[in-house]
Amino acid sequence: MFYKVLDGVKIIEYGNMVSAPFCAKILADMGAEVIKIEKPCCGDDSRGLEPFMNDSPGVERSGLFLYLNMNKKGITLNPENPAGRKILNQLLKNADVFIENNPPKRMKAFKLNYTRVKQINPRIVMTSITPFGQTGPYKDYMSCELINAHMGGVGYDSVREVDISQEPIKAPAHIFGFQAGLSAATATVGALFQQSVTGEGTYLDVSEQESIIQNMHSVFRYYYNKQVVNRTDVLDRAPAHILPCKDGYIHHANMEESEWWRFVDLMGNPEWAKNELFKDYTSRSQFWDALKPLILDWTKDHTMDEIYRGSQARGSAIGALYTAKDVLVDRQMEERGFFVEADHPETGKLKYPGVPYRFSGIPRENPSAAPLLGQNNEEIYCGRLGYSKRDLVKLSEAGAI
Amino acid sequence: MMNSAFLKGVRVVAMTQVWAGGWMGGILADMGAEVIKIESNKKIDILRRTIETEGDLNRGPNFNGYNRGAKSCNLNLKNPQGVELFKKLVKISDVVVENQAPRGMPGFGLDYDALKAVKPDIIMVSVPGFGSTGPDKNYISYAATVQSIGGLEASFGYPGGEPSTPSIFMADPVGGMYGVLAVCSAVYYHHRTGKGQHVELAQSEAIMSLLPEVVMEYEMTGRIRPRMGNRDEIMAPHGCYPCKGKDKWVAIAVANNEEWQALCKVMDNPEWGKDEKFANQFNRWQNQDELNKLIAGWTKDFTHYEVMHKLQKAGVASGASLSTEEMNHDPHVKERGALIELNSRKVGNTLTWRSPWKSALTASNPAAPYFGEHNDYVFRTLLGLSDDEIAKLVNAEVIY
Repeated sequence: MFYKVLDGVKIIEYGNMVSAPFCAKILADMGAEVIKIEKPCCGDDSRGLEPFMNDSPGVERSGLFLYLNMNKKGITLNPENPAGRKILNQLLKNADVFIENNPPKRMKAFKLNYTRVKQINPRIVMTSITPFGQTGPYKDYMSCELINAHMGGVGYDSVREVDISQEPIKAPAHIFGFQAGLSAATATVGALFQQSVTGEGTYLDVSEQESIIQNMHSVFRYYYNKQVVNRTDVLDRAPAHILPCKDGYIHHANMEESEWWRFVDLMGNPEWAKNELFKDYTSRSQFWDALKPLILDWTKDHTMDEIYRGSQARGSAIGALYTAKDVLVDRQMEERGFFVEADHPETGKLKYPGVPYRFSGIPRENPSAAPLLGQNNEEIYCGRLGYSKRDLVKLSEAGAI
Repeated sequence: MMNSAFLKGVRVVAMTQVWAGGWMGGILADMGAEVIKIESNKKIDILRRTIETEGDLNRGPNFNGYNRGAKSCNLNLKNPQGVELFKKLVKISDVVVENQAPRGMPGFGLDYDALKAVKPDIIMVSVPGFGSTGPDKNYISYAATVQSIGGLEASFGYPGGEPSTPSIFMADPVGGMYGVLAVCSAVYYHHRTGKGQHVELAQSEAIMSLLPEVVMEYEMTGRIRPRMGNRDEIMAPHGCYPCKGKDKWVAIAVANNEEWQALCKVMDNPEWGKDEKFANQFNRWQNQDELNKLIAGWTKDFTHYEVMHKLQKAGVASGASLSTEEMNHDPHVKERGALIELNSRKVGNTLTWRSPWKSALTASNPAAPYFGEHNDYVFRTLLGLSDDEIAKLVNAEVIY
């Protein structure tokens, strides 16, 4: 864990891939005890996804899985098996929160929908995360990160200055699955507060599509002026573009007139900047095609950090397109101790992204690495639920755990 | 509207501005908190001043979308009396949220220590771009600068191409949601221990925390993650294909052989579907450029919705690439009530969304407030000032 905020909260995660595991990770990072349930055969599907340690695949070697499941305990369990189900019921009885992201039909078939779970534990908070939510015409539609991004509107509207022949694209990796997990974790902690005040449980129906729509403030504008914006329309702001430089790319994000002139100062006040065509924002936007090569002629001789730090020090908003290599040595993230180290039996010590928040009144602690497949079976089944080691052999042979 | 009134009885003073700030207020109000947004003529939220509203402060579509359910109170913090009134309000509140630049609250004499002196168990949540500490804390943090440093932009773009300039800005909703998470967890902690807290977070780190693959790939293999557009590490087809109509597209993702067979069947089993080049997942991934062209030849005769429904019926994951306009009319989005029309006397009709979850505990929220709508409520009802005192403060540009 990072901060003991949710000390004593007991969570069962029956999740797969990104959204539910990330939701549970956030709560584990805050000190809740998360017991993660995985398929006995092979575990969470994310164990089979890149990146792998030294490009050598293996269920304990996926960077995606290892990040998503830090600070958790891991057990294997098959809820379809009657003996497995009995164990799950015991776990749910003692839990404060149940987090899952399975298709609604499967949860119903497993008799694990809220109506059933509530009968086992009336004060439980149950959080279900699905691509389209538990109701509506698409509730049972199959989906994944790609489909979610496009159905959430952030595919179509994601890139400026595209050629109409180019397909709309999604943002990198599983960022929207993670965002849905973050939304779900926020609602879950809200529900936990309510539970601790009133003793009542609740059901949270979290939709990934709706979580993605939260990035789309364009819906407000469209509603207001009913103007259809084509994805090829360029915003009338310049320069507000990603531009190449000596060792990478910068994002020129000036909004105020003064910021432009500070950037001009960084470039050494070249003669061309005095040209009437570039006198103000509107004019620079209009003559962007003439302006761009002049800026590029300067940026090509300067590094990302020279431009990023030079302009920011002058009060001009420019960002640098940091890759992993750059973020890992960024002085700001280093000073704030954002990246953390965790030791894992299979991969050894690795640096992981940490948490973005700092609590002033709670000491920060060191995180622990993700569990091996079934790592905590004995601890949970024997230590807590009273099964013998011999029982575990039988349960395993029966396909329950 | 359907909301989860988990934070009923929690009062939040919001020194918020622009996107991330207003956004947090909207979610907190959805959760049942009383959100009092402090606004002043000295510095008007830029979302209140948009081109299309021609100077009308009360009709900004983005402002009204984000700030639903909040109360608006005018207070000039550049005046010492304004600062005193702020402190009086803090005394009867539970939480202060803010997304000013890191020098903002200390500049008003309202940093955490000052608030704590007024109310020892106050919870303060700060959501600046790069954090409240560290050498770069004062860097200008627009969404574009924050998400480029947070690692989102370098890996965003078409396969093999340069990085694309994004038109989506995630630093605000992501930083904002972490801010609300911080409020909920600090309120929970306060309930258990009686202790207050200052929670601060960096939006740049918030973005990075959603992109672990970027860092882990480098840590584990020494490689920089390439730009991949719609492509997946192993799934193919996994892309966006042109459809009937102008600039219409549909996304299709095939995870295994069974789904591939189902896709071929929907396409009327074309000859090329039997080609060895596409016989298994690895071959399809290897030959995806060619495969994508062939699939595009089929999708182009149907609308994106037709392809989606056909494929979903057959057990293949597919979704229309919805535009902003289509999002507003989509039957599923409508039935779920994800987007909501609200109206009020001065603000007119506005569109907002609700928080991305539903639960049985419901509350309903009014539209975003007009500028200073709740001055009377805050100064008379909450702080107990008389008409006379209020008039004087208005005159002195304290309530301003």
